[in-house]
Amino acid sequence: MSDDEEQYDPIAHKKLLQAVSSLGNVQHIRKSTRDERQPEQNEFQLFKSANATDHAAKAVGVNDLVQILRTSKHIETGKKLKNVHSTKKVLQKPLEKPVADRIKRTIGYEGVKKKLARWDAVVAKQRSAETQIFPIPSETIYVNTAAHSNAIKTSIKSELGKELQASIKKLNDLRKVQTGDNTDEQELAQEEERLLAQKLTRDELHARRRELAYLRMRESQKSAKARMQNKIKSKKYHKLLKRQKILEQVKQFEILKKTNPEAALEKLNALEKSRLVERASLRHKNTGTWAKNLQMRAKYDKEVRKDLAEQLAVSRQLTEKKVDTDSEHEEQTTTKIETNVDESIADPFNPWMTLKQTENDEPKAEEEEVSWRKYWTERNQNEKLLTDHNAEVEQVKREKRQQTTQPIKESPKKKKPKIYMENGWQVEEVEEANEAPAKTKTLDEIFDAQKDNLNNHLIHKLNNLKRQAALLKRLSKKSKKPKMKHDALKNLKDLTFKKTKQRVEIDEPLNQDELEPKEAVKVIEAVNDLPKSKEEKNSTAKVADIDPDKVIPITWKQKMRLSDVVNDALADDDAAEFDEADPVAERQMLISEAFEDDDIVADFNKDKKDDSEVKNNELQLAMPGWGCWGGNGISEKVLERRNKRLLLKLAEPEKRRDDNKDNVYINEASNKQARAHRVSSIPFPFKSLADYEASIRTPIGREFVPETAFRMLTRPAVITRKGQVIEPMDESELVKPDRRLRHVVDKRIKRQEEQAEKAKRLLVD
Amino acid sequence: MKVKMISRNPDNYVRETKLQQHKIPRNYDPALHPMEGPREYVRALNATKLDRVFAKPFLCNLSGHRDGVACFGKHPKLLSTLATGAYDGEVRIWDLANRTSQRSFVAHDGFVRGIAYARNGERLFTVGDDKTIKVWRTEAPDVGEEEEPVNTILSRHILHGISHNRKDNSFATCGEVCAIWDEQHNDPIKTLKWGVDTLHTISYNPVETNVLACCASDRSIILYDQREALPLRKVVLTMKSNKLAWNPMEAFNFTVANEDCNLYSFDTRKLQSPLKVHFDHVSAVTDVDYAPTGKEFVSGSYDKTVRLYNAHLSHSRDIYHTKRMQHVVCVAWSLDNRYIFSGSDEMNVRMWKANASEKLGVIRPRERTNFNYQEALKEKYAAHPQIKRIARHRQVPRHVMNAQRKMRAVKEKELVKEANIRKHSKKGKVPFVSEKKKHVIREDV
Repeated sequence: MSDDEEQYDPIAHKKLLQAVSSLGNVQHIRKSTRDERQPEQNEFQLFKSANATDHAAKAVGVNDLVQILRTSKHIETGKKLKNVHSTKKVLQKPLEKPVADRIKRTIGYEGVKKKLARWDAVVAKQRSAETQIFPIPSETIYVNTAAHSNAIKTSIKSELGKELQASIKKLNDLRKVQTGDNTDEQELAQEEERLLAQKLTRDELHARRRELAYLRMRESQKSAKARMQNKIKSKKYHKLLKRQKILEQVKQFEILKKTNPEAALEKLNALEKSRLVERASLRHKNTGTWAKNLQMRAKYDKEVRKDLAEQLAVSRQLTEKKVDTDSEHEEQTTTKIETNVDESIADPFNPWMTLKQTENDEPKAEEEEVSWRKYWTERNQNEKLLTDHNAEVEQVKREKRQQTTQPIKESPKKKKPKIYMENGWQVEEVEEANEAPAKTKTLDEIFDAQKDNLNNHLIHKLNNLKRQAALLKRLSKKSKKPKMKHDALKNLKDLTFKKTKQRVEIDEPLNQDELEPKEAVKVIEAVNDLPKSKEEKNSTAKVADIDPDKVIPITWKQKMRLSDVVNDALADDDAAEFDEADPVAERQMLISEAFEDDDIVADFNKDKKDDSEVKNNELQLAMPGWGCWGGNGISEKVLERRNKRLLLKLAEPEKRRDDNKDNVYINEASNKQARAHRVSSIPFPFKSLADYEASIRTPIGREFVPETAFRMLTRPAVITRKGQVIEPMDESELVKPDRRLRHVVDKRIKRQEEQAEKAKRLLVD
Repeated sequence: MKVKMISRNPDNYVRETKLQQHKIPRNYDPALHPMEGPREYVRALNATKLDRVFAKPFLCNLSGHRDGVACFGKHPKLLSTLATGAYDGEVRIWDLANRTSQRSFVAHDGFVRGIAYARNGERLFTVGDDKTIKVWRTEAPDVGEEEEPVNTILSRHILHGISHNRKDNSFATCGEVCAIWDEQHNDPIKTLKWGVDTLHTISYNPVETNVLACCASDRSIILYDQREALPLRKVVLTMKSNKLAWNPMEAFNFTVANEDCNLYSFDTRKLQSPLKVHFDHVSAVTDVDYAPTGKEFVSGSYDKTVRLYNAHLSHSRDIYHTKRMQHVVCVAWSLDNRYIFSGSDEMNVRMWKANASEKLGVIRPRERTNFNYQEALKEKYAAHPQIKRIARHRQVPRHVMNAQRKMRAVKEKELVKEANIRKHSKKGKVPFVSEKKKHVIREDV
């Protein structure tokens, strides 16, 4: 290779040529070249095309393309292209960038939220843990290396072993062939497995037995219940039962009426018959002992009065002689005119409707009997009147529908028949039997009418609802709507456990003190003095008075319910009544008898009074002679005023704790020093005084509890190891199985938890 | 005279070997210990007092920087290593065990804005005011060799902070934009913008490592996902946030140090209001760092103090200060949960104990048991007034006291004014706004 060829560099040559060719041009900006991936192109590096202005004149459209194609041999393609162009819709303009970005951001944020929410459970567990150990123990495979543990199943076979196995297999095969045994080993094994599976294990057997026992128990329970129910003597119960039965019958009748009118008729007949039978019997004559007792009791008991009224109503209905149809007819016509106004709801010729209306009334069965009876007795007599009336009703309805529907109040006044009992007690009927006259027509028509009625009713209801909705809307516009916010932290909150061991949390600012230059010396002195001062404190036995167990109950004691007061008062009354039996009074008597000479009761009271007396409530600051320079008694008035001015009034001493307790003397002087050491309010995480007291009461020292308990109770909340880096939470934490416990205390805690759980389960069972 | 000797069987009280503990027969019958409550109370009182007596949190002062300390970098694997950057562009690597400076080199012109270790701790990334990201080897160069960065990346934008992903090879810088970089490339993989001119600080979530957050100059905190093309969410507070720290144990919680003397703990999923407002500082809070246990954090402030907080309480549990410490610029909590580092304006790095009265050095098991017992007692009686008084008593510098007094007065005045307005206006017109809700202006989607 010559030197010339060596020096030839194609890239440099090209560059040179380019430079020469572009000498005439003014363009200096080059297209940027990248050697590093980058998502953004700098605007200053953009290549400015030389002939950009020439091309920008007119863009090529689809039509141009089609035109060209049409002239050439690709006519078909041109047509297709045009078709596509005309038939396909143009895509919608994309969203504006800010909006689109916002959507993207929202989606991204939702994703991150979801990702972060995975940690809820782990974090909740960590927070509620009594003791946390850092660094978090990592996943390790534990192999039991103890001598008694089972050996690992998989074993590596040596060459010799493998050979032996092969030869044994060969031998077996040979033997099989020789003996003519053609059973398949695999099949046999499968069969055996199947049989094994069929066999119930011991646990399964136990489970089945338990299930059977449970079923038997349920059965016996049910039978016992039935037996008990038969034996119940309560009148009220039976009354309710009867009512329920009647209700059920009515329901059945309704269904029957819809599905099978013939059967309904038959049933009605049966009812009528039963009524006749009852009428013939002596029941409901109000001559039995029960009725007589009822009359007696009715004087005092409202409930009984009601029962009695019902009973009377029943009796009246049953014993009622069938009224002359003509007179009844007249009655009906009169009432019809009255009720015609609000026909839309109550159709007088529709007994079902009336029935439905009265469904909620109390003495149903009787009423219904009445209405049915009426229905059937009148059925054949009113044919003619019905047709006329029907036309009328229809017309009214039509008018009604055109009018605006208004809430209809329907309460025709009913005369309450009064009955005078033997003892002069006046009984009024509580619920009026339905006396709305019912006229009849054929069943089909009745049902049609009913349908219309229903429609009307529905329209009415709809309007009502609409009005209510409008009202609500107006209300919601006025008052700020309570927003249903989705709580992002709900899951975390739900997952948090209540801490088993509550610790006092004090969230207060530090009580700060100004740092002074002399302070340091003082502190040193204080340190030097410390042992001495401690001894002093112990020796003065101030500390011995401290009773930290007793937290002064400030609010709780005062909160006595009103009912308690009343009860107490009642109890006092009782005590007054049975004075002789009172042991306290007796003891008092005994004491006063024993100390007949010296009146200790009076002495005691006097002592107490002396002690509780206000001692130095005021302090006179005026000095004698001060301000009386001219001699004594210049002006008595001025002196008095001055004395008054200089009188220092001290705060009222606190009320004694035994102030309103007779015969009790509480020595308060001894506790005054201890008061500074007592807690005045329940600290934060605790909710009740009892909880807090319990937490304080348990001693944790070595001297008071066994060693293991001591270790458990004094376990710190956070355990870290010296010289170990604590890594942040790892993803493996999310799927980690339970940690194998190595520490004795951990194991014990775990065992206790398990036992507690077991006990709970047993209790539940 | 005959002296009668009481004779006892030595088996009952003499231990067999020296290694055994002395047998102490005990009867736990509560009837025999009528004064157990008072005794424990006194013990608790003494323990509290001793705790305050031994509360000497200041360990040492690492001096060597010739300008104020700007930032810290914690080595993810080695506890005894700490990297600090100063205002003059110098980076120092400290050997904390020996309390000496291992290495120092000038990394940037102007401030060193941020230091981050790669995830295995083999490389060190620094960013500075000269718009460069420099990558350094962690081990010191051989004798005679010059300190040279492994790689220097020129950024298009100004850089203000750097954070390294804990699980992969990417890191993120902030400045004009938030940029995600790969260690192998000289151009950012992604730049994320949201109409903000300056992002002051950036921090990767240590648990959910794709998530990161920035604090911006428009008083906002912005959340990013490094896989997404766009930022996720922005929450605007009343004042600028200076620093942000994620809770290393609770993936969704983070705390920001704010210019308005408070710190705010947020849940990422519910940014409308902070979970907790942490008070007590009297001047702008400049830095915050979580303890590796995620239960506590430390904050440094412009008021020349360092405060320690429980993450779920709103008042600090302790305050650290020395006479010579000026504005605290950066703080860090060591990865073994034992020490706290603070770097301040007056060129010093200080090392504190995380637990002021903790005994350093070897602790024998019996000693440990005793400490545990004392700790348990203090906790049990924490609410008792005397114990509370002693345990929470602190001497603070005069200027802090004064500032606190002033702040209290201002706050009270505001409260009174609000109450007056409420009294004289229509019912419900001046609503009660909780302290949490006051500080968040809006949440941008």
